[in-house]
Amino acid sequence: MDRRHFCKTILLSPIFSPLLSQLKIKNSASRLYLISDTPQDFLPLILGILKNKGMISGHRFAFLNSSPFDEKLINIMSQKGWIAVPPAYPSDFTVSFSHLNQKVAPSFSFVKEGRILDVRFKSLASLWLSMQQHQGPSSFLTITSFQERRPALLGRFVSVYRDGRKIETLDLKNKVLKSYSAQGGRLVVQVEDRKASVVDSSCPQKICCFSPSLSLAGERIICAPNHFLLEVERTSAVDTAIG
Amino acid sequence: MAKKSYILLSLLLFLVLISCAPKKRWHSATFVYFDTVCEIKIFCSPSEFLSCQQEVERIFSEIESHFSPGLKNYSSSLVLNLYHKSLSIYKNTNGCFDITIGPLSRIWGFLNKSYSIPSQNEIDQALRLIGMDKIEEATGTLILKPNMELDWGGIAKGFGIDLAYNALESIGIERGFINAGGDLFCWGKNPENETWKVGINHPRDPGYLGILSLSTIAAATTGDYQRFFEAGGRRYHHVFNPKSGYPAQGKQSVTVIGPEAVICDALSTALFVCQYPEEILDRYIEYGAVIVDSEGNVSLWGKPYLFRLL
Repeated sequence: MDRRHFCKTILLSPIFSPLLSQLKIKNSASRLYLISDTPQDFLPLILGILKNKGMISGHRFAFLNSSPFDEKLINIMSQKGWIAVPPAYPSDFTVSFSHLNQKVAPSFSFVKEGRILDVRFKSLASLWLSMQQHQGPSSFLTITSFQERRPALLGRFVSVYRDGRKIETLDLKNKVLKSYSAQGGRLVVQVEDRKASVVDSSCPQKICCFSPSLSLAGERIICAPNHFLLEVERTSAVDTAIG
Repeated sequence: MAKKSYILLSLLLFLVLISCAPKKRWHSATFVYFDTVCEIKIFCSPSEFLSCQQEVERIFSEIESHFSPGLKNYSSSLVLNLYHKSLSIYKNTNGCFDITIGPLSRIWGFLNKSYSIPSQNEIDQALRLIGMDKIEEATGTLILKPNMELDWGGIAKGFGIDLAYNALESIGIERGFINAGGDLFCWGKNPENETWKVGINHPRDPGYLGILSLSTIAAATTGDYQRFFEAGGRRYHHVFNPKSGYPAQGKQSVTVIGPEAVICDALSTALFVCQYPEEILDRYIEYGAVIVDSEGNVSLWGKPYLFRLL
């Protein structure tokens, strides 16, 4: 089954919407839907890959209802650094379980603000393939809901510093690709989707290029060889930060 | 008549001089020292800022050249000065803060970033070289036992910040902050004419744990997320327990606030290791701490400073 058909099945399933309101899922920005009889085999792996790609963040999760897999899931998740908290506590994402009224091919899909995101990175593509090949049809659905980032901390502008001097401020709302000369070399900054990142650099190790993209006030990327700093301007909430 | 015109002339000269005085405004600069990004922001004239920045960089450079890992100049007055401060804190914290943990940094791979888990035997051998009581001071120099190594990482930045603040304060800078990658001194009022709002980075999530409101004071944070490696699903960080030889357990982040950056720096390390914060803070009554334990629970200790949890 392809992704869109999969999601359509889920979203139009008559058993799904009443369950949704019962589960009282809060306003969340994105959701991962997983159909599999053995969620403990796939959910931690998928979440790990999404986290590495910067598509999700945080480490605390809560179960909104229980399943036969709770203990196994908690064990495997905690090995990967995710901590289970009781539902009343603040958490970064919630996990709930339900049943479809028919068995379908196992699969997973990531939906953000109503749009299906393509998350078939190489690592996830091989996982998908292995699910299709080795798992039989399933009616067990695991929904992981991710909380939206607290808007108070989202940055508005990102500043570019060279040799300790601010040379430019970019608005995170505008998509831009800009090249800067630095220390006899070159650095390319990209602003897209309210995030800033370094996409190319003349430095030898390219740590700046591998650094996670910036979106929160105070976050920064440094290119030490080029004496270059990219920093999201702090909101008026703080003058500086430690830690 | 002559007296009147003399007074008038003096007044005129005074007004002319006043209007010619260079205008003060906020300046900031960032530079890289101690393997981290350092930032200064001060209220002064443009020419003052240039000399201030140079002075701060000169001081940080000097600290780096005396206290970087592997350097063994034990006779300089700067080193002896910091040694005495370190010894006092070592005694007051029952050994939770200890600059002789160099061998531990080495065997866990933190010196050259070739991280690995050492054997119990290697740890036991390293522990035999640890303890500031093993250092002798004689005729203006320190004498270490063979194979002992000093690691000033838990105190040198704070020392540098105090020196830098003293230099700027004596030049006449009345408002500003110096932030060396997590160790900070702020003084006077912030650009909005209020107390300085200093965010403490959350030990796990992007964004802040909470916001401190500070006047003229220092603050330093030690965390298990600043330098670490992961192996077998476990995190091994750079803050060693000098008694066990392993990374200290039980905390994610410790922030100490108080009058001197050098003490905040060392105490944030000591409180990370120590089980009972009140035992240490009882000996440093001007200092307070924000501690995040391994479960993520936040608690305040010692002298209360204004902290708003987010």
